[in-house]
Amino acid sequence: MNVKQMIEENNQKREQLTVDNEKYYSDLMLYIRTNWQVSEQHTEELLLELLNHLLEGQQEGKTAIDIFGEEPKEYADQLIEQLPEEEKRSWFTFFASLFLFQIVPYVLIIRGVVLLVLPLFTEVNDQVNIFKLLITAILLGVMAMGVVRYIMNVIHRSVFKKNHAEWKDSVKVGAVAAAGMGAFILISVWLPEIGPSFRFTWWLSLLLGGVIWGMSKVVKSN
Amino acid sequence: MSIRSQLLKGILDGCILAVIAEESVYGYELSRKLQQVGLSDVSEGTIYPVLLRLQKNGMIEGEMRPSDSGPNRKYYDITAQGEEALEMIQEEWRILVNPVNELLQRGRINERETDD
Repeated sequence: MNVKQMIEENNQKREQLTVDNEKYYSDLMLYIRTNWQVSEQHTEELLLELLNHLLEGQQEGKTAIDIFGEEPKEYADQLIEQLPEEEKRSWFTFFASLFLFQIVPYVLIIRGVVLLVLPLFTEVNDQVNIFKLLITAILLGVMAMGVVRYIMNVIHRSVFKKNHAEWKDSVKVGAVAAAGMGAFILISVWLPEIGPSFRFTWWLSLLLGGVIWGMSKVVKSN
Repeated sequence: MSIRSQLLKGILDGCILAVIAEESVYGYELSRKLQQVGLSDVSEGTIYPVLLRLQKNGMIEGEMRPSDSGPNRKYYDITAQGEEALEMIQEEWRILVNPVNELLQRGRINERETDD
């Protein structure tokens, strides 16, 4: 079974849990899933295994506390410690595909529309500098990765905190994302154009954006 | 942690290997078998960190298979390396169990004598 199938099965089976067991299990699940160092495949196998165990126990009148103990955080930490680490390569593939399919097409489409409309009001330059393009792409990728990891860490730390103020987390995440975005915009504005540039017209931008967007839908449905 | 669960912690790997060596089981079956032989102090969840560790060390292998009752379960089988480890644990246990028994029982007998 692949990760997607396991997550789907997990979602369906979780509905059979009692309210208390569901709360206990979901916290445990969220806490383990938001640890980005462990292998996703092994994590989902384990989560499904624990869920099956809990469901069988529930039929015999046992609760999640009876089965997994009164210290879910400690229990989850024991499990995480034993889970194999995720390979660096799959993290790279994950972010590369996120970048290519979730960011690039929208940037291209927006750029195409802007370049189409803006000449009605002012003179525009549809030249793209290769150096600047490369550096901004890398920056955007690194920033997206940083923000995603930061959000996962915030959730991970908050799952088992008692009396936790969720708005504080939202403010923290918002501030970090805004700061990252601000830094990105500043750097890309100040970055000098070095080396060759090429002409990248509005219609090519729209076309390419549309093609990648279509590809992302195909990949997603598979 | 009670003394009993502390003692058990050291030998739980061996107990789990012994159950899996007899036949392939999935998590819930394993915990039931441990309780059936009298190890009722093993809270059910404790087997999972141990199972993960045994897998990581190549002692056992897990595989998704349809269970007797229908749905898929992750079944565990012992590996050659696991069998070797189990033999070693059994041997070590044999060496330990008699002297420890004798020593601890003797203590109890002496106590009773002085009580009289």
